[in-house]
Amino acid sequence: MTAALAILLFHSCQDDEICEDLTANNLRIGFYMIDQEDDQWTVVDSLRVFAVEKADQPIHDTLRFISALELPLNPSADSCGFVLDFFHLVDTIWLTYERKTHMVSVECGFTMFFDIKKTVYSTHHIISLEAPMTYVTNDLDEHLKIFLPDTVNGN
Amino acid sequence: MVISCGLKAENDTLFVPSVRVGLDMSGFARQFVEPETVTGEVSVDVELQENYFAVLEAGMMAVDVKKETHRYQAGGYFFRLGADFNILGRTPENPNDLVLLSLRYGYGTMDHEAPFIVIPDPFWGNHQTALPSEKYRAHWIEAGMGLKTELFHNIFIGWSLRGRLLVASTKDPAMEPYFIGGYGKSNGNTTLMLHYHVLYRIPLR
Repeated sequence: MTAALAILLFHSCQDDEICEDLTANNLRIGFYMIDQEDDQWTVVDSLRVFAVEKADQPIHDTLRFISALELPLNPSADSCGFVLDFFHLVDTIWLTYERKTHMVSVECGFTMFFDIKKTVYSTHHIISLEAPMTYVTNDLDEHLKIFLPDTVNGN
Repeated sequence: MVISCGLKAENDTLFVPSVRVGLDMSGFARQFVEPETVTGEVSVDVELQENYFAVLEAGMMAVDVKKETHRYQAGGYFFRLGADFNILGRTPENPNDLVLLSLRYGYGTMDHEAPFIVIPDPFWGNHQTALPSEKYRAHWIEAGMGLKTELFHNIFIGWSLRGRLLVASTKDPAMEPYFIGGYGKSNGNTTLMLHYHVLYRIPLR
C-alpha cells in the first residue's frame, strides 16, 4: 500500500509568474479639490503632460476629464521633472528619488523601483501636493496627491 | 549513537539499526522544466530510537539565466538538519515502510550577480545596468510529511512534501535571489516543495 502511495511526481510545486503588471512601475497621481472634506478625486477638464528633459515628446497629449494620471520616472537618472499644462496655467513638478533595481523573475527580468526623496513644484494652478506613498513599485498605490482650486466656488 | 541503537535492537527483532543515504531526484527533474536551475542534494538519516530518525540533508545550487534583457548567475550551498518520526510504526508485514513527519532547520548561503541588465522603457529609452556579486544568506524552518518504502533489498524510494517558512535572511540586499538553495524560489516568506528520493540503507548489524 505504501509503495502505491509513493507517487513519482517530478516537479516541485511553484506558482507561475506573469510578467504583465509585475514590471509596471509608473508614478501614480490623483487630483483632488482643495478643502474638500471627503477624499474623492476631482476631474481635470483637459491636461497635457510632458517631461522637462523631453519637451518635444508629450507623455500625454490632451487628456480629457481625468482624475488620475500615470507618469514614467526616468530609470537612468535620480531625478526628473514633469510639466503639467492645464491649458490656461502651467505647472512643473520636479521629483528627486533613489533607484533600486528589482528582479521580477527569470522570465520577466528586471524593473526599477523608486523611493521619492523630494518633490518641488510650482503653484500656478496647483495649490499643494502631498506624497502619501513615496515608494514607487509595481503595486497600484497612489503616490502623489495634487490639490487643485475649487473653480466652482472660486476658492 | 550507534551503540545505543544496538542496545535497543536486542529487544526488538523488527528494528534494525541502520544508516540510510539518499539522493534527491527532484533536482534532476527540475532540469526538464527549469533548465537554468541546477540543484543537487544528498541526505543521511540514522534511526536513533525506533521510529525516530536524525536527518542531515545537504546540497548545492547553481543558476545561470541568459535572456535578451538580462543575465543572472548564482551559486551556493545549503544544509538542513532535523528529525523524522515514523507514525506508521513497524509491523511484521511491512517492517520497512515508513510514513514520516518531518521537522527541519535550514541554512543556505550563496553568491549571486546580474552582470547584464536592460530595463526597457518606452518613453525614456532602455536603461542598461548591472548588479555586482553579492553574498546572500537565509535561515528557514520547515515541516512536512513523506513516505519511504523498500523497493528492493535495502533500496528505498520515497517522497516528501515540505512547507518552508523563511525566518531570517540578508537585510536589504541589492537584489533578491531568484532561487535559494534548499529553500526554493524566494518570491515570499513561504514555499512548498515536493522532493523525490532514492535511498540505500546500510545495516549496522
